[in-house]
Amino acid sequence: MNLSRRHFMEAGLGAGFAGAVGASFGLNASAETNKMPAWHLGYQNAPVNGYEPSQMKLVFGKAPSDLKGSLYRNGPAQLSYGDQHASHWFDGDGLIHRIAIEDGQAVHQARFVETRKRQEEQAAQAFLAPGFGTIGDESYSVQSADDTNAANTSVLVVNGELLALWEAGSAFSMDAETLETKGLKTWRDDLKGMPFLAHPKVEPDGRVWNLAVGGSRVGIYRIGANGALEDFGMVDIGRAAYIHDWTMSERHLIILVQPWINETFIPPVVAGFEWQPQHGLQMLIVDKDDFSNQRWVQAPPRMFYHTGSAWEESDGTIKFDAAFYKEPVLGVDGGTAEIRGEWIGEYASEEGILTLVEIPPQGDAKLIETGVIGEFPQVDPRFRGKHRNLVALASGASANRPGSTALAVHNWTSGESQSFMFGDNRMVEEFLFVPKAGGQSDLDSWLVGPVLNIKSGVREICVFDAANVSDGPVCIWQADYAWPLGFHGTWA
Amino acid sequence: MTRTASFAALIAASMIATPIALASDLTVNVESIARTQGTIVLGLFDEATYNGDGAVDGANLKVEGNDVTVTFEGLEPGEYAVKLYHDVNDDGEMNTNPFGMPTEPFAFSNDAKGRFGPAKWKAAKFTVDADGTVHTIKLN
Repeated sequence: MNLSRRHFMEAGLGAGFAGAVGASFGLNASAETNKMPAWHLGYQNAPVNGYEPSQMKLVFGKAPSDLKGSLYRNGPAQLSYGDQHASHWFDGDGLIHRIAIEDGQAVHQARFVETRKRQEEQAAQAFLAPGFGTIGDESYSVQSADDTNAANTSVLVVNGELLALWEAGSAFSMDAETLETKGLKTWRDDLKGMPFLAHPKVEPDGRVWNLAVGGSRVGIYRIGANGALEDFGMVDIGRAAYIHDWTMSERHLIILVQPWINETFIPPVVAGFEWQPQHGLQMLIVDKDDFSNQRWVQAPPRMFYHTGSAWEESDGTIKFDAAFYKEPVLGVDGGTAEIRGEWIGEYASEEGILTLVEIPPQGDAKLIETGVIGEFPQVDPRFRGKHRNLVALASGASANRPGSTALAVHNWTSGESQSFMFGDNRMVEEFLFVPKAGGQSDLDSWLVGPVLNIKSGVREICVFDAANVSDGPVCIWQADYAWPLGFHGTWA
Repeated sequence: MTRTASFAALIAASMIATPIALASDLTVNVESIARTQGTIVLGLFDEATYNGDGAVDGANLKVEGNDVTVTFEGLEPGEYAVKLYHDVNDDGEMNTNPFGMPTEPFAFSNDAKGRFGPAKWKAAKFTVDADGTVHTIKLN
C-alpha cells in the first residue's frame, strides 16, 4: 500500500470500517436518536455496569509480538441522568478501563469506581454531589472531600495495586484484574482523607512521588516501589494556585505555581478561579532529599494542565516540557457545552503549545516554544526525570468539534517533529510509551492509545512505532462499540 | 460504662449549667464502632451550647466492644444533640490530617451529617421526654 500519510486513515480505513462495522453498535444509536453531532459519542454515558471483557478485533496491521501488558485508563462516563446533564465534564463518575494486550490479542473491559457520589446518585438517578463545576444538592452531606470524590482522572499501578485517581481527594484502590472497587486508599493513619493528585511521578525504579494540594499548602508523598509510604512532608507555595500537574527531575520536585488562583475552592470550584498574570508563572524547586531546601524561579505568565517530564543538564540547568497556554482554557467555560452536544469552537484559537522550560542554576526561567500544539504530553517511563529524546502529544485541534485529530511526537535532541493525522473522524486521546523488548533508547518504544471513531461509532486502540509516527499505525484493534472520552492512563 | 471527668476539652465550661428542674434520663447508645480500642468522647448539648465551646454534659466511654452506652440522669426535658468522636489512639484529641480534616471517626445524634462543616443543630437535635429517652447513634 502506498497511501498518503496524512490521509491514511480516511482513505485507507475510514470507508472500509464504516461499511464493515456499520453504525448500529454501542452508543451511536442513542446519539442519532437525540440528533446529537457524531462527536457527542465521546460525552455519553457508559452502561451502568461498565463493559464486560470483550475481545477487540485486529483490523489493521500486525500486532507487535513483544507488546504485552494492560493499558488502564480513567475518565468521566456518567454525564447525564435523563434530561439532567452534568454541570461539568470534570464531574462525571470515573470509569476505569483495562485493555489487556497479549499474543496479538486485545481485550477491553471497564467498570465504574463505586464512590459514595456514584452510589447515591445512581440510587436517586440524579446528580447530587457538589464538584468542580457543580453546586450540588443541599441534601447531599459533605463531611470530607471524599464525599465529592469522582475518582475520574487517572490511574496508577504501584506494586501491582491499581489506584483510581482524582485530584482533590483520596485514591481508590481497585482490583487490577476485575476492576472492582475495594475502597479508599489511606497511605498512613494520620494522612487519612489527604488528597492524592492525579499526576503522580514514577521514577524508573518504581518509586512514586506525588502531591497533596490544599490551597497554598502542598504535601509531598514519597512511596517506595513496594507500595509503602516512605516519607511525607509539607511545603508552602505562597498562593492557592490551581495545581493539576507538576514535574520532577532525578534530584528535584518542580511545583509550578501558575497565576490561576482559587482562594476558596468551594463548589462549584470553577467559579472561584481568578487569572492573575501579574504574578507570572512561578516555580518552587524542592530538593528530593531535603524538602526544606527550596528555590523559587520566575517565568512569564502561563496556564497549564500537563507537563511531560524534567531532566537536569551537567551544569545544573533543569529542563522540562509542558503544554502551555497564554491564558486559562477549558476550566472557565469549557466542559459544559460539549456534554450537551454544543460546540462553540472557542478553543480552536487556544491550543496548548509544546514548550521547553529552561531553569538555569541562577536567575529566571526561559520558555522556548515549539511549533507543536497539543495536550496530554507523555514520555517514556524509563526516562522519567532523565535526559531523553521524545515527547508525544494528542495534537491537531479541529475547528468542527472538541478533541484532537492527530498524534504528534517531538524529538528534543534533533529538534524534529512528526505527526500522524487521523482526520476529523477520529478523536485522539492520550498515547503512552511502552518500551520495546530489548530497546535502549526512547526511540525504541511503542506508542499505545485509544481513538474514538465517530464515523463508525466504535473505539479503536492504535499502536505506533514512536520513532516513525508519521508512517501511521503499526496495528489497530477495534471494538464493536464506543466508550466515552477519558483523561489519563497508565501501562502496566 | 463509666463517665469520667476528663472530657474537659469540649465541655468544661458548661458544667456550671447544671439543670434545675431535674427529671429525665437520657440513654445514648453508640453502635457500629469499627475498632475495639480507645475511647468514645461524647458531648451532650442544648441549643445554647451546640455551636459554642461548652456542653451540657459529657462522657468518656472506654471501647471494649462494637458499642458503648451512657445514661445522663436528671436532665430537664427538652431538645438536645450529641457530638462524639472515637479517640482511637487515646491521645485525648480528635486527630486531623495536615489539612485539618478529621482522621478519627465522628458522628452526631440522628446520624446527622454536615455539609462542608459539622451537622447543624436543626439536623442533630432530638427530644428528651419527661419519661426518659433512648437515642442510638451509628458511628460509621
